[in-house]
Amino acid sequence: MSAVVLRVDGLTVAYGGNTALSLDVLEVHAGEVLGVVGANGAGKSTLVNAIAGWSRGKPRVSGRVVLEGRDLSASPAHERAREGLLLVPEGKLVFAEMTVDENLSVPGGVRVGPGRRYYDREAVFELFPRLKERRGHRGGQLSGGERQMLGIGRALMLGPRMLMLDEPSIGLAPRLVSAVLETMRTLARDGLTVLLVEQNVRAAIEVVDRLVLLERGRIVLQGPAAQMRDDPRIAAAYLGTSEA
Amino acid sequence: MNLTQQLINGLVLGHAFALVAIGWTVLLGVARLVNFGHGQMYMLGAFMTWWAISGLGLPYPVAIAVAMGVGAAVGLVLQRIMLQATLEQNLVSIMIMTLGVGYVLHGAAALIFGSTGQILDTPLSTTDITLGESFLTYQEAAIVIVTIVVFIVLELTLERTRVGRLVRMVAEDPKLAELAGVNVRNVYLGVFAFEGAAVALAAAMVGPRTPILTSMGFDEVIMTFVVVVLGGIGSVYGSYFAGLALGLFTAFFGALISPAYTTAAAFLVLIAVLVLRPGGLATRAR
Repeated sequence: MSAVVLRVDGLTVAYGGNTALSLDVLEVHAGEVLGVVGANGAGKSTLVNAIAGWSRGKPRVSGRVVLEGRDLSASPAHERAREGLLLVPEGKLVFAEMTVDENLSVPGGVRVGPGRRYYDREAVFELFPRLKERRGHRGGQLSGGERQMLGIGRALMLGPRMLMLDEPSIGLAPRLVSAVLETMRTLARDGLTVLLVEQNVRAAIEVVDRLVLLERGRIVLQGPAAQMRDDPRIAAAYLGTSEA
Repeated sequence: MNLTQQLINGLVLGHAFALVAIGWTVLLGVARLVNFGHGQMYMLGAFMTWWAISGLGLPYPVAIAVAMGVGAAVGLVLQRIMLQATLEQNLVSIMIMTLGVGYVLHGAAALIFGSTGQILDTPLSTTDITLGESFLTYQEAAIVIVTIVVFIVLELTLERTRVGRLVRMVAEDPKLAELAGVNVRNVYLGVFAFEGAAVALAAAMVGPRTPILTSMGFDEVIMTFVVVVLGGIGSVYGSYFAGLALGLFTAFFGALISPAYTTAAAFLVLIAVLVLRPGGLATRAR
């Protein structure tokens, strides 16, 4: 099995008195696309936010987050980002007042090191030609799909060791959903490690190598995508074979 | 009424308003912060300039640099104290803390510099430029030039440089900026250092027009409120034109009606504008 890029130990997240997430161990391996699926409120966003050390709310987080041997548990979000632990969040993910080009500008201090894939602006435009056409437009003028591309592009320019995407398919037309998710495969072929949070299990299962199913903040199932597809719990709950 | 003279007075006053307000404009635009110690920081800038010139015998440009350095340091310390409140956007705490720091600065300055008024004379403030029947001092001409330069440099920095882009990222969405690898705390510290340096520069330029007192406070810079809000909160261009408009308004209102009521009239206009256009004059219609 390939090297562990990210290891999460004993991660718990609580909002007020309510525990939203409680994980023993989660590992992500180099070059894989790991899908995290689950219903609304299962703790998917909470998980990736906690890994990124980030939140728009005020959660209490404990546990260890280790990225390629470096313990980042005490690091603030911007340092984790600079270490290559990158999150494309759900919802507002681009700067609406800034142009596409400006959105793709990077602060100083990004360290290019082994295990990191650094994409420059041209590489991002090659991956998403649409962004190049729109480079002078402001973030707020972009469509949902273009915003996803821009969010991903910004993260790529920071030199990811691991890229986390929080529900990239939300609000997108089906054709765009598969386009965005196919991009994950392209990136993985380049050697990037991807953690993909999705509610759209049907679409996610087509592109991920491994799937983790969250329910009420706990991992209830995990395994290779092919096996998970046949698991009755996945099939029944999320692929809509029973009551949909 | 000498129309040209009032026009000159208005333009000088307007640039002075804009220059005094620029630190607040950036503060409010970028960090959504207020600083009720702005007036005392202005006072400190004026006294640092005065002390550097008459105490240390430094040339005026060096004295300005000294005042700006002290101003930036005060801004940094102030922001360091308020960092937690800033990150939480706890405006009430910030209001009270900055108000408090203002009084501390007032007390400290009174201890050091005394409570008697001083005249901040510069090589520029004692010579006049005569234009027909009208005149202005070289100091006043310098205010206009420095203000224009500061605004242009600021606008270019915000729009064209990497630092400017990072600052605008934090202005729009500090949380998202963290994910883009931006150290938001450092940006806040930098913005407050800018506020301190900018108000000190303004004091060094504008202070020579009137006697300076350690008891100068927000009243001295009260028009900052009007400029910042009228210009559209956080808009750099907006605050320049708001300052200019306010300067002309003040000059002509003072000449035609009475200088005693200009502040009241300016705030009346401000309230009317806020009722009609809550975002200020320069905001885009959305």
